[in-house]
Amino acid sequence: MGPLAALTPLLETRGIGKRFGGLEAVTGVDLRLARGEVRALIGPNGAGKTTLVGLISGRLAPTTGRVLFAGRDVTRLGAADRVRLGIVYTFQITSIYRRLTVADNVAVAVQRRRLRRLADWLAPDARGLAREVEAALGVVGLAGVAAEPAGALPYGHQRLLEIAMALALQPALLILDEPTQGLAAAEIDALCRLVRDVAAGATVLLIEHNMAVVLELAGRITVMDRGRIIAEGPPREIEANPEVQRAYLGQPSATSS
Amino acid sequence: MTLGLHLAVLAVLAALQLVLPPFHHGMVARVMVLAAYAIGYNLLLGYTGLMSLGHAIFFAAGMYGTGLTVHHGGFGVAAALVVGLAAALAVGAVVGVMTVRTAGPAFLIVTMMLAQAFYLATLHFNELTLGDQGFILPALEVTLAGRAFALADPAVKYNVALVVFGACLLASLGLVRSPVGRVLVALRENEERTRLLGYHTGRYRVLAVALSGLVSGLAGATYTLLFSYVGSTFAGVLYSIYPLLWTLLGGAGTTLGPLVGTLLMTYAIDVTSGITDAYLVIVGAALVLTILWAPAGVVGGLRARWARWLP
Repeated sequence: MGPLAALTPLLETRGIGKRFGGLEAVTGVDLRLARGEVRALIGPNGAGKTTLVGLISGRLAPTTGRVLFAGRDVTRLGAADRVRLGIVYTFQITSIYRRLTVADNVAVAVQRRRLRRLADWLAPDARGLAREVEAALGVVGLAGVAAEPAGALPYGHQRLLEIAMALALQPALLILDEPTQGLAAAEIDALCRLVRDVAAGATVLLIEHNMAVVLELAGRITVMDRGRIIAEGPPREIEANPEVQRAYLGQPSATSS
Repeated sequence: MTLGLHLAVLAVLAALQLVLPPFHHGMVARVMVLAAYAIGYNLLLGYTGLMSLGHAIFFAAGMYGTGLTVHHGGFGVAAALVVGLAAALAVGAVVGVMTVRTAGPAFLIVTMMLAQAFYLATLHFNELTLGDQGFILPALEVTLAGRAFALADPAVKYNVALVVFGACLLASLGLVRSPVGRVLVALRENEERTRLLGYHTGRYRVLAVALSGLVSGLAGATYTLLFSYVGSTFAGVLYSIYPLLWTLLGGAGTTLGPLVGTLLMTYAIDVTSGITDAYLVIVGAALVLTILWAPAGVVGGLRARWARWLP
């Protein structure tokens, strides 16, 4: 790694935009994430947050603009190739293999990273795989239900499984799309601890509505409204920003002044 | 335990030839070849989640690839078999690439149309294929350890069918328990999730269609070698529907389902057609009842109730 690598943002979008028919969901967004930071992305419903991370993860193709990852232009890469580079997305609506066991869910993720050469596929190391699956489940506290069908888990555990699958890919950039949605208070605490652990080794982009979680985890906050970034800064600054309050809390400007 | 069960099934099939009366002896030999076809179908429907209505294209590709080279080229059994397999694999890869962006009903319709085009081609190139009249192959022999075996001999027929079926069964078991099989099942369960774990899902789909085509083509090639006939009937829509019914009846997504389904259905048709001309009504009713009681098929139902470990 050259001396400039530390200065290159891990992720950068340049004028990225996405239009769905007549709707401009994301317009000219320039976002830069430094290596190792935890960034929260907030904004009212329909602000374009999920569309933006869809453009970053490659689930959506942009109408305009470019995406750079570790200095490399990845705009034309598909989602699978971006995952292989380390951009890992966890779904807002839990997306797991409901009919497979919890262990099999994680195994699909683990083997993708382990089996890189043809020889690995022909003579897979089943024991090493099982060990890693167990370890990944241990991190999120699901080792005890490894043999259960994933669809039978309570909702909060399904969210944790989703995160375990993402962690099993050893992401460089982990995108969490409303991870605490529908979780109980105790589960939210556990999730916050988990994200802090992850952040020690990865950059995290967190879409979140729960402001307590955002303030606890994020070093910087980016605020979106109507497809654009309207503010960016450390939590204190963002909290005090009247424009943010107006957009995010839906307060008319008359009451805030 | 799983491998043992599969080997035991093969051992029972091997032992059956000693006790079966001639009629059933021939019948089971035919069932084993058709069950190999169903195994090919099941790789796609049961383990990748793609329902094709055009699998006759693969069965017929194997059949014509082998039959035409014997008939026109005077090829021996081994060489003709290789041509049949290559034809089926090539057709499988082409169909896989052409359907890679289709899902659900669209996949079903595109495969049906491609198979129909193939069927019409077998009629169109009448001088080569003799169309729906078809042609009979000459007496064929295989040489093993210096001895020649005539394929027309019932015992040889039975054991060739057993070897081909056994190879397909064990290969399918190996595949579904391998890392590749795990990816295919993941595709079946949730394609978008699988893509976002970093898998190039399109490539796996093409691979699945090609492998399914290869196994189906092996069954078609074997069928023509053992029963000495090639005709466009086998490229028709009925031979696309059969493996679907066999697989659903036996249990899609179970390794032993194709054998069970093919065996039950073939015998159901045989028994009922001895009773009445309207035998398809009885077979149809039996199918409807099975699906009502055991929507996952016979083996699928067993697995859900008693044997979760069945692959």
